[in-house]
Amino acid sequence: MEFYYGLAQTIGIHTLLGISAYIILLTGQMSMAQAAFYAIGAYTSGMLTVLWGWHIVPALFAGAGLGALTAGLVGFPALRVKGLMLVIATLAFGEGIRLFFFNFDYQVQKGNIRVGPLGGEGFRQIRFFPENGWTSAEVMLFVWLFVVLVMALVWWFDRSRYGAVLRAVGDDELAAQSVGINLTATKVSAMTVGGAIAGLAGGLYAHYTTHIEHLAFGVVQSIFALAYPIIGGLSSVFGTLAAVIFVQGFLVEGLRNLGDWRNLLFGALIIVAMVVRPSGFLDARMLSRFKRGSRKGGAGA
Amino acid sequence: MKRMAFAVAAACAAMGFSAGALAQEKTVSIAAFGVKSGVLRLFGLNSEAAVSAAVEEVNKAGGVKLADGTKAKLVMQPYLDDRCNAEEGIAVVRRIVGTDALVAIGPTCSNVAEPLYGILQKKVDDPKDTGLQFPILTDVAIKVGLAQISEWSFRNVPNENTMYSSLYYWLKTTRPELKTVYGGVEEDFAHSRASWHVVMKERAKANGYAVLGESKWLLNDTNFSTQVREIKKANPDILSIAAHPFTTCGILKEMKRQGVKPKLIVGLTSTSSEETMQGCPKQAEGMIIPSSFAPVSKEAKFASQQTAKKKGAADLHSMAAWENVFILKEVMEQVKISGKKDPASVQADRRKIRDGLAALKTTKGLLGTNKRTADREADKPYVFVHAKGGTWQVLHNPL
Amino acid sequence: MFDFLQAVVDGVLFGTTYSLIGIGFTLVFGVMHKINMSYAAVSIGAAYAGLLAGGLIPGASAWVVFGFALAFGGVFGYLVYLICFHLIPIRNENATLMSTVGMLLLADELVSHFTSGSPQNYPAMVEAENLRLGELSLRPDLIVVFIVSVMCTGAMLALLYRTRLGLATRAVAQQPVAAQLCGIRVVRVNAITFIVTGLLGGIAGALVCSAVGTLSILITGPLTVKGLIVTVIGGLGSVPGAIVAGLMIGGLENIFQHFRGVTERDLYVMLLLFAFLIFRPGGIFARGKGRD
Repeated sequence: MEFYYGLAQTIGIHTLLGISAYIILLTGQMSMAQAAFYAIGAYTSGMLTVLWGWHIVPALFAGAGLGALTAGLVGFPALRVKGLMLVIATLAFGEGIRLFFFNFDYQVQKGNIRVGPLGGEGFRQIRFFPENGWTSAEVMLFVWLFVVLVMALVWWFDRSRYGAVLRAVGDDELAAQSVGINLTATKVSAMTVGGAIAGLAGGLYAHYTTHIEHLAFGVVQSIFALAYPIIGGLSSVFGTLAAVIFVQGFLVEGLRNLGDWRNLLFGALIIVAMVVRPSGFLDARMLSRFKRGSRKGGAGA
Repeated sequence: MKRMAFAVAAACAAMGFSAGALAQEKTVSIAAFGVKSGVLRLFGLNSEAAVSAAVEEVNKAGGVKLADGTKAKLVMQPYLDDRCNAEEGIAVVRRIVGTDALVAIGPTCSNVAEPLYGILQKKVDDPKDTGLQFPILTDVAIKVGLAQISEWSFRNVPNENTMYSSLYYWLKTTRPELKTVYGGVEEDFAHSRASWHVVMKERAKANGYAVLGESKWLLNDTNFSTQVREIKKANPDILSIAAHPFTTCGILKEMKRQGVKPKLIVGLTSTSSEETMQGCPKQAEGMIIPSSFAPVSKEAKFASQQTAKKKGAADLHSMAAWENVFILKEVMEQVKISGKKDPASVQADRRKIRDGLAALKTTKGLLGTNKRTADREADKPYVFVHAKGGTWQVLHNPL
Repeated sequence: MFDFLQAVVDGVLFGTTYSLIGIGFTLVFGVMHKINMSYAAVSIGAAYAGLLAGGLIPGASAWVVFGFALAFGGVFGYLVYLICFHLIPIRNENATLMSTVGMLLLADELVSHFTSGSPQNYPAMVEAENLRLGELSLRPDLIVVFIVSVMCTGAMLALLYRTRLGLATRAVAQQPVAAQLCGIRVVRVNAITFIVTGLLGGIAGALVCSAVGTLSILITGPLTVKGLIVTVIGGLGSVPGAIVAGLMIGGLENIFQHFRGVTERDLYVMLLLFAFLIFRPGGIFARGKGRD
């Protein structure tokens, strides 16, 4: 059972990371900086629980808050670049943050050892969960509590005016502007929300792995964060969840029995997924089919 | 699509077949994991071959004796690949915990070992600590000071402090004309960084060398002109490089281009492998590295041959995996494991094995007797090897 | 002071490798308005295939290996076009980006599988010690790389500006619909662009591995990132821009390393990119309105 709880935790954390990129992608901005906000959340919450003995819940919110703040700050200069240039700009920002943590040393004496981040060696012993007697099942429920809350929030956005505004900006900026939508406010707010969710995910990640280092927050992590909403489709937040289950559940863990084939199939199956379903697993057509199906079922019952 | 379906079917058939065959006799199951993809793929391939060969030897000699006197066949579960990624390492170990494996050998990467040990229970019998209770006997991850993280984590890796201390001492006595040391270090890789700053530098100083400084670079750097210029300026007698084969070859090639030739080059333990000989055999000529393995004894040669039969190379990393299998067999028989497959017995056996490992004072190694330290590390006999004519040969055997 | 000058010279010479990869990225962008994330990885793959093929011929010189790398580069370039771009509707930007990411992972894994992850010795073009120009020393193999990349750019520019194919390519880049109306087969032009950048990539991969001395997939990541940075700073779509930007980044990298050490070096390169994106999004040779 340990394995399934662990897998569920990983899927949960990655779903949060994917949703953080999803929200920003809705406005037409492809952000490769999600790993940076993930890192900020991870180090912040880790330091709060380890160095200053905070409880995990306020530490997670602090991580999310700092992630949001940084994302908001990035959002402004990001307005000046569009499309693929933004991809590169955010990639550079992400790398910059990773390099910052590579150089970041902050240790304090706790008893007879020194704890805290130590540059290239990383930050070890973030053991809030095991030290406070949380079982794997409890950690899993804790992670999923946040996942459910965030997914509900984003689903609610989608059904409210805010979601429509986000998608309008994503579809056609000029048209959106001409109906009076404030581009700056929309794009920066999307970035900020994305940053907050990524920061939250990072805090959970740090406590899940107990040891974080700069190499875990590189370009590959940002690419995965973006891959989830793209593979899953932008029509619904459930698409991102489906994509995370596909990648982490099927490609990473499910194929493990195939040994060496797994690594080769990984890249190949992503290509196949994109060729076969370029608009994502859950694209607009599939979503409307689900909706029609459920309505028919409801009417029939 | 068809081919993939066939592969899946074949894999299922193989698993079904082996499960069927095992139902007939008693078995004791161990797991092994590490990196089998990307730049560290060779490590996983070699460890897998070594463990597989060692398990075969144990079974040829009759298997593992259980508490009730019967013999059980030792079984190695399929080698799992953690891709040098913390999350996957944790997933792999959690997966292993859910099987009937009693202990695991691995991981390869120090940056997987650290988080992995972190999720284990820190102190046994601590009721408040919900960490995993599963013993891990590490073969490769070598960054200094990790096993102390948890009482369930044990390592059979060489003690770099002891080896480099001895190497510098030997160099001081056999080559007294060499007085200065300069370092080259991969700053962003945990193992290399610690190996220079904590081990090589300090041991050189302790043996009376003047350490003139160090040049730094990153794990995947490709341009070393600045660093080599720094080395040239320092003009050391000994250049001590704490880096893995890719950047070590890069630095050596640049040194050749700039005509920089220190009197002696000392390398990092992990660099004494095939990889360096594939990447830059000419430039590495003469490099001296302390290693906890060389085919100098009968057992060492035998282990090397058997591993080669399984398509793996014998080096200090894979041979630690070989030793691990035999250590575990000894411990299992000493603590009298039950070998029963119900979850309570499996967990009890795991605990017994952990206690057995913790109680060990010495283990049999391929080069002699390995000492076990109080913080669950190993102190292994070693030799000094040097690169000669495209292979690693023993330069000095202090045994 | 002197060290500083040497650092600059070293860096600029090494920057030629970045220029080569940048040219490939920028050309695909210029014609198809898409980024091929797998370009550096596939180029290294072509270099490896070239090494293997060259190894089959006993006593083959480095140039034979490069020749094979060139050929394989073209073939692989076409395959990437077919799999990642041809089969996916061109309008779908996200999907093509992600499929090239999948291709990058696949290419890396294939090379890793065949090399077992070990670095492979790559033949140098020129096996000599550094040339001395007064107090400065220059790497002869990098000078050869520089010359080769200038030649490649020259050939590229000649292709673009003096042939019918080049004319068709530029037409498609400017106005794909109008070009189609004039009877230009857009699909054919796109495919040929990939083959040409593939050829260039094969040579670039071989030259990079030769300059580094060993072939390893450790090179792929930083090369991709630097290639993208060079492309942006040089101006998306501008070939001369890519060359100048590559040399610039090479030199600046070493300058940053000289003053602040290797751990902070890349941080400053990133900040530089940021500055460019904010103040001069069109790149060095800004083409009027900064195209996205």
